Amino acid sequence: MAQEMIEGINPTRMELLKLKDREKLAVKGYSLLKEKRNALIMEFFNILERVKGSRENVEEKLKEAFEDLTAAQVIMGDLAVKKAALSVKESVNVDIDSRSIMGVVVPVVESSTSPERTVVERGYGFVDTSVKLDEAAKKFEESIALIIELGEIEKTIILLAGEIESTKRRVNALEHIIIPRLENTVKYIEMRLEEMERENFVRLKMIKKSMEME
Amino acid sequence: MNSSIAVVADVDTVTGFKLGGIKEGHVVETSQEAEETLGNIIKEKDVSIIIITEKIGDEIRDFIDRFTKSNTLPMIIEIPDKSGPSDRAVDPMGDLIKRVIGVEMVK
Repeated sequence: MAQEMIEGINPTRMELLKLKDREKLAVKGYSLLKEKRNALIMEFFNILERVKGSRENVEEKLKEAFEDLTAAQVIMGDLAVKKAALSVKESVNVDIDSRSIMGVVVPVVESSTSPERTVVERGYGFVDTSVKLDEAAKKFEESIALIIELGEIEKTIILLAGEIESTKRRVNALEHIIIPRLENTVKYIEMRLEEMERENFVRLKMIKKSMEME
Repeated sequence: MNSSIAVVADVDTVTGFKLGGIKEGHVVETSQEAEETLGNIIKEKDVSIIIITEKIGDEIRDFIDRFTKSNTLPMIIEIPDKSGPSDRAVDPMGDLIKRVIGVEMVK
């Protein structure tokens, strides 16, 4: 069976030693990368557990929020809602940090939202606003907190997935291409060297014989 | 690192999030506008989370993909708008998970 080898290698002892070193390194790298891949996949599954309900929660909350918003728009008028929205004070302040999972830097979001804001703290007037507006504002505040969490998880998944893919590719390349190729080349050189030795042996025998004949 | 959130969406979504307390809301109509606005926000360094609607996300999918591949921050989060979650032909998350794990996961 003709197997793939590294091209342009001279069958010498020097090359053989070099190749054996390379093979050792490749095998070591392969096992390390395999461990890394397994650890990453485990981490990935942990996060998948967290993402499961998260998107549904956000969608649910937003749906409620939009319903209230529409109700407020119907009662107060589109313009009045916009006016009220403009005077709402900023509530969200996010603090982005990062942590490293097996060398993948993922963001960690610390959001210092003030989720339970009272109606007064929001900053719009009471006279021309409806209760529905308060409800909508509250629901939007809640959904923002959920969205931030979802964002963090999804971003982590995307980053981890990218790293897993590239690690997988490397592991496969080492396992199926590089290591077999090195092994085959080593085998080839060993065989060539043995063959050369045998040739030499026979040659010496022949010389000896012809010298005895004389 | 302290930073803020921006919303790039249609008029109602922006109003809603303003009520919720996000000051930076950009109303966009066309996909071209959305791309420009996103580009500008990304250039400002102190925004770390950008909320966009799924509709806009679908329109400028290439732009977002190109960006999220090369940068960690700001993160772009897609949410449904007031017409509810859209039935997408491709679910980007599910697709990604399937590609990585090799089997379909129940999400």
